Amino acid sequence: MLRSDQILATVEMIQKENLDVRTVTMGINLLDCRSPSVSHTCKNIEDRIGEKAGRFVESCNFVSRKLGIPVVNKRISITPISFVGAGFNRDDFVELALSLDRAAASVGVDILGGFSAQVEKGLTKTDREYILSLPEALRASVAVCASINMASSQKGINMDALAMLGPTIKEIAERTADQGGFGAAKFVVFCNQPGDNPFMAGAIHGVEEADTVLNVGVSGPGVIARSLEKLINSRKDEENGLKLDEIAEEIKQTTFRVTRCGELVGRQVSDMLGVNFGVVDLSLAPTPKVGDSVGEILHILGVDAIGAPGSTAILAMLNDAVKKGGIFASKTVGGLSGAFIPVMEDALLAEAVGNDDLCLEKLEAMTCVCSVGIDMVAIPGSVDGDTISAIIADEMALGMVNNKTTAVRIIPVPGKEVGDSVSFGGLFGASPIMAVRNVGKSSRFIGWGGRIPAPIHSFKN
Amino acid sequence: MNRQMVISVMSKDRTGIVADITGAVYELGGDLADLNQSTLGGYLTMILFATFDREITPDMLIDKIDAIDSPTKLDVVARDLQEPPDPALSALPPKTYIMTTQGLNRKGLVYGVSSFCFEHDINILDLATTIKGETYTMVLQLDLSRVETIAEVRDALDLYAREQDLQIVLQHHDLFKVTNEIPF
Repeated sequence: MLRSDQILATVEMIQKENLDVRTVTMGINLLDCRSPSVSHTCKNIEDRIGEKAGRFVESCNFVSRKLGIPVVNKRISITPISFVGAGFNRDDFVELALSLDRAAASVGVDILGGFSAQVEKGLTKTDREYILSLPEALRASVAVCASINMASSQKGINMDALAMLGPTIKEIAERTADQGGFGAAKFVVFCNQPGDNPFMAGAIHGVEEADTVLNVGVSGPGVIARSLEKLINSRKDEENGLKLDEIAEEIKQTTFRVTRCGELVGRQVSDMLGVNFGVVDLSLAPTPKVGDSVGEILHILGVDAIGAPGSTAILAMLNDAVKKGGIFASKTVGGLSGAFIPVMEDALLAEAVGNDDLCLEKLEAMTCVCSVGIDMVAIPGSVDGDTISAIIADEMALGMVNNKTTAVRIIPVPGKEVGDSVSFGGLFGASPIMAVRNVGKSSRFIGWGGRIPAPIHSFKN
Repeated sequence: MNRQMVISVMSKDRTGIVADITGAVYELGGDLADLNQSTLGGYLTMILFATFDREITPDMLIDKIDAIDSPTKLDVVARDLQEPPDPALSALPPKTYIMTTQGLNRKGLVYGVSSFCFEHDINILDLATTIKGETYTMVLQLDLSRVETIAEVRDALDLYAREQDLQIVLQHHDLFKVTNEIPF
């Protein structure tokens, strides 16, 4: 039998430290659902999702009960919809979004990702129609999440698409003004978007994937925070004291355990459903719940305000240790894997915005070393579309040059200014509005259009 | 014909007990199949299986052990086995669970929890308890093979935990294996 102390440590991780499997996401290929008419395509999509995911939620719940570990979210990702709906117009795409909404509801998942397009090099007519459909699609649907990949290290940045996106995001927010612009929280812009990321809003079932794949997202910033507190407390009276490399080691080992739980759940659900097990995504994803915060880890590791000098270095160490611990724990690691810093979804990051400790520029710097980007940031509704496009351009450039995934999910909250705050409730959280400096000073840059060419290190052939 | 025996020994702990007992088995032509020993509070207990290539009876083995010049008293029980021990029984069943129970120390805690297991047809494979301050902790390895649905046991367990003011957690053994061992 395992030692009692090992058993108690594991029980503690789950009971007191918020260890859970954050999401099991089923990726479903819809490429062959295209039919001459939109109504028939919708029917094919709903049939396909019903057929593949009919027992999905039930199987996740069964494994969760069997093992005694919570599986918080059960979600679906699909082939980027611009491929499925090639040739359709904007109204047709809205129909597809509503169809996906019905499909999600019928199999009992709360969020479905993949209302997406991949336009990093150029825009097709379909892609333009897709982008134009976004404000209405995201207003009219409930469960559907959208994302667009508009830059990559291999192809550069599509500045024509970028110019469309700032105003589009504003319009999405304005159409959902009665919910604080919530529609924009369901849309994320990527550079180097992975095709196997299980986390929303950016999950897609990449065209390179098999018909049906199960990807798992583990989380557990709370588990890391508590294990670090314990380590720091147990060593506080030592003469030579605890050093950062030992702290990194603790993060690594804790991540190993967390990842193994995700791997176990993923494999068992895959076996039950007879589908391929894809990847474990190791990301530390905070929730607004107390004790489930990435910001708290920064506090514990020595910055008294999130955003203070040192924050980026701590995040770099955290992100790296999480990857190292997880990679050995899982057969296949993928997705985004690292630490997320979604401001609204992390109570301490949101608080740092309210205290003026964390500004957009520092957040941008931190995204250079974390796994995603400027995520769930509420900005004044008065910020113009070109400025939003330019914020995205900067973040895309970071991803493109550094060969990493970066993303922007920004919410220009209609009618709100700095000093106000917005709340979406539940996992989407709440935050004071973050100031944007130099508003309206980037329009000439956005006006160029065209492309930012791929960086020199993309030429590897 | 070979004879199989299961032997149990209890003694105040000291060095050399395992050597004494296995020496006696060896001298009677016995081959050790499996042995498990544990110590608690200065006492040792062990259980072992042995196969003998000659006609050895349990009494002969006990006499042999009694003849050992031991500074501690060795309480021995030995029984003939009609069939060899089933190796499949040493492997953990697929429905092996770990139950951890914590609560304020008081009389009858283990009795209560083990009675709960008995009432629900749950076999206890292993049990360890510790006391730290006022908190009594039990870690039980359980076989739930005869339980129909885990959900029912969980509901009954939740009710029992509330009634007894205990924190009880029931999780599959696989979860502990993967978080503490390298092979998956």
